[in-house]
Amino acid sequence: MNTAGPPVERIAVCGGGLAGHLTTATLASQLPPSFQIAWIDAPSSPDSDVFYGSLTAPSAYTFNLEAGVSEPELLLSTNTAFSWGTKFVHWGGEHKSWIQCFHLPFPIVGGVLFHHYLKRFGVDELEPYLVSAAAANRGVFAHPLQDGPPILSRAEYAYQFDPFSYREAFAASPHMRRVQRIEGHLEGVERDERGIAALRLSDGRLHTADLYVDCTGTQARLLSHLCDTFAGNRRLCAASNHRATDRLGAPHRTLTGAEFGWQAETPLQRGTARLTVFAPESQTDALRAHGEAPQRSAEATIGSRAAAWVGNCVGIGHSAWVIEPVTHAPMLLLHRDIERLLSLIPFSTQMDFEGREFNRQSSEDYVHAAIFNRALFETPPFADTPYWRAAREEAVHEKLTQKLVQFDHRGVLVTFDLEPFNQEDWTILHYGMGRRPSRHDRVADRAPEAELRNSLANMKRNIENLVKQMPSHHDYMARLLGYLAQNRS
Amino acid sequence: MRKEIESVCILGGGTAGWMTAAALSHKFHGLPLSIRLIESEEIGTVGVGEATLPHIRSFNNTLNIDEATLMKETEATFKLGIEFCNWGRIGDRYLHPFGDFGPNVNGVPFYHFWLRLRALGDTSRLDEYSLPVMLAESTRFKFPDTDYSKIESTFRYAYQLDAGRYARFLRAYSERNGVVRTEGKVVETTLHPETGFVESVKLDRGEVVRADLFVDCSGFRGVLIEQALKAGYEDWSCWLPSNSAMAVACEGRGPLTPFTRATARKSGWQWRIPLQHRVGNGFVYCNDFVSDDEVAEVLLSNLEGPPLTTPKQLRFKTGRRRYFWYKNVVAIGLSGGFLEPLESTSIHLIQEGITELIQLFPTKEFHPADIDEYNRRMGLNFERVRDFILLHYVANQRDDGEMWLHYQNMKLPDSLQEKIAAWMTRGLIIKYEFGVFLPPSWISVLLGQNLFPRGYDRRADAAPEQMLVKNAADIRNEVRAAVRKTPDHRTFLSQIGAASGTAPLVAGGA
Repeated sequence: MNTAGPPVERIAVCGGGLAGHLTTATLASQLPPSFQIAWIDAPSSPDSDVFYGSLTAPSAYTFNLEAGVSEPELLLSTNTAFSWGTKFVHWGGEHKSWIQCFHLPFPIVGGVLFHHYLKRFGVDELEPYLVSAAAANRGVFAHPLQDGPPILSRAEYAYQFDPFSYREAFAASPHMRRVQRIEGHLEGVERDERGIAALRLSDGRLHTADLYVDCTGTQARLLSHLCDTFAGNRRLCAASNHRATDRLGAPHRTLTGAEFGWQAETPLQRGTARLTVFAPESQTDALRAHGEAPQRSAEATIGSRAAAWVGNCVGIGHSAWVIEPVTHAPMLLLHRDIERLLSLIPFSTQMDFEGREFNRQSSEDYVHAAIFNRALFETPPFADTPYWRAAREEAVHEKLTQKLVQFDHRGVLVTFDLEPFNQEDWTILHYGMGRRPSRHDRVADRAPEAELRNSLANMKRNIENLVKQMPSHHDYMARLLGYLAQNRS
Repeated sequence: MRKEIESVCILGGGTAGWMTAAALSHKFHGLPLSIRLIESEEIGTVGVGEATLPHIRSFNNTLNIDEATLMKETEATFKLGIEFCNWGRIGDRYLHPFGDFGPNVNGVPFYHFWLRLRALGDTSRLDEYSLPVMLAESTRFKFPDTDYSKIESTFRYAYQLDAGRYARFLRAYSERNGVVRTEGKVVETTLHPETGFVESVKLDRGEVVRADLFVDCSGFRGVLIEQALKAGYEDWSCWLPSNSAMAVACEGRGPLTPFTRATARKSGWQWRIPLQHRVGNGFVYCNDFVSDDEVAEVLLSNLEGPPLTTPKQLRFKTGRRRYFWYKNVVAIGLSGGFLEPLESTSIHLIQEGITELIQLFPTKEFHPADIDEYNRRMGLNFERVRDFILLHYVANQRDDGEMWLHYQNMKLPDSLQEKIAAWMTRGLIIKYEFGVFLPPSWISVLLGQNLFPRGYDRRADAAPEQMLVKNAADIRNEVRAAVRKTPDHRTFLSQIGAASGTAPLVAGGA
């Protein structure tokens, strides 16, 4: 339809890591057959995928389906487990603990957000009213279903995963059959005025495409030739190990704060992953705490490239940004990158608009996700060590200031267009970090006190009773896998 | 000292004033807060718009207002959207409905598939996939189904009502809720010598009214926000130069249409709003392009029935108050800003002003963060409505007359420029979360005014053509079947007890 230039029909995805797998599978599943999709490996800092962390976003279920990976396939072919979220332990100078769980919107009474009633009655804790937090604490899991228990249907879940196993489910997607896998790997790029003219392969051949997708991780082996401006200077190291276990642990990861940074234990099928993230200056302490020699390790600068899409080349994931996996921000951004790419696949080599719009959306997403992470380092005290100092030295974006001031002052959630983290994520984070509104919404005073206290008490009791009846994560998974395996054969 | 606001004074009793009084008196009912509204019989109200948006229903529902009663008392009719005539080219027409066009397929909006069908030679109109458009075209109406799996659930609705009666209705409601109405005109405003806050207003009869918070609903003049506090005005005439309107009511003719009409003319546009007992009409224009006399002539010669009144003249300046909320004064309604009623946004912007005020209701400390946040939210609302209205003027093929040429040569706000570029390049609507008009609204105007994109979402090519053709035909059939099952608009009004029973007004006041 678009005649402004030669049509885009050939797409080359470069990079064999997590981003490359997810991107290729999604393109293969969603694009019409007329597209030729080529996939080229580019072995470079293969371990940098540890920076995707160990927790997906709740959007993973739908995202994966669009890539042709169903939940049963994912569970049967990888070590992925269910997750209600992250349990923070010993976080910050006051050693705060809370469950950063996933949840659908909280009840609204008389047009007023739930936490205003907690404030009115002097209730300090939000967690007892969150079914996903209660289930996480007890180590139990069941799918929240529309026609299941109504309380449980308010919960949302994501996956606990290991990037190196998780991606295998995408490699096995039936849509991958249409993808041309290029033998050999990337050696370098040839440039021209459109951006990239061709990819130079290890065997000397050249591979050309109309659109190049850079999934080569932090080295950005394509994009760095077109845009080498990277905003960010905070260096972080990550080390990970996998340890076999007999039983599947709780459906949440446990993230413990330390002077060197933090350490997350993530129960997976058949094992537990340990991820230690630290400032380079504290390597000795961190690795001692890590316990064993890291199976995988990487170092990266947290921040984002000035442009993710330049000319005929677009960077997906770490080639465009690196965000600390202290929350599920990395997977949230990765999903959004890929969905955005799909909605902006250009018609012709004249792709200025697509690039501009991609960059606008992706920089907004990055800022919005980064302020969520940054909010974990507000509300002191914090240890005076390189990790915590560097985190707190990151500038506080004006939008974060607005959010913090309004919440502290009156419990209002300031929200911007299409943020990746929703109002519930923010409310749970504020409460977890010990931030409480200094006053509640006056309209909350209208609700009759006795009745409301009663319904709060009921809500808490119903949640407690429900989670007592739920199976352990281990039992639920075992039964589910048994059922799935049987139905598959 | 108690920190909570104890007294609110609303200045002005038009639609904005009484909507504010009704909402505050309901939300804060039973709490120690006194609400006073000052209005003068001598100062006429503008009656900013008689056509509304679906959001008004949640406003009324929150206030527990019975729909049929309200409709009866305000001579209201149902509204499924706005019909735009002559906007793309002379002779064109399209309907901007309150609802989407067809269901999403794999997360891709249906209109991309329609664009593909069109490229393949299919001649169905996008309208045939929209139940509200098809209902409007056959002047039928019923309530949307609450079962979201049914096609009958795929629309929303609003009202066309008599704004003066709506204000009176809300006045009775507010007074029952304890709002005190004071007759009078403000002759003097006293500001605090240090803070510059409004302390009190003095009325023509000598009474002095003090309050912690003032809501300025005094209309264009902005008695408190501008005359007293000098908050300033951001002039948007460079984009929307219209500065006048002329309004006249006439006898209704023909079937009772469940939609508003906006007809573009050489030097402005004319509205038509059908109520149960009469039809409201008006003409919006800019004096640079046409004289008042000419407008009166065009307006009166384009009425469907004899006029019931003499044309009423209004002057305005398009734009927004630099600060909607400044010190202890919040400007709601025309005192906050003005955008021509092309998309029925006047009452909606009042409603947003009230909703945000309740959410960010201050204490006597008047925390600057609350004021900043209120101004940020309202600024965004106004700006996004402005862009959408401006779209109608610039996305077209008209060049007959100075006004249309003026728009052709205009430098657009960047936000709108990029939105049009996104559409033209690939049929993409750049989305936002906060702002009243969702993507289907943008699509209906862009396509209705003949802006066909050069491409569509590439995922729309993934499904086999045969399947697409069949799915599309199924949707069209489903829509047609739903239309057949829907009663006539006027019949439905009677069925639900919303008919006023007022005899149609006739010229000469017989």
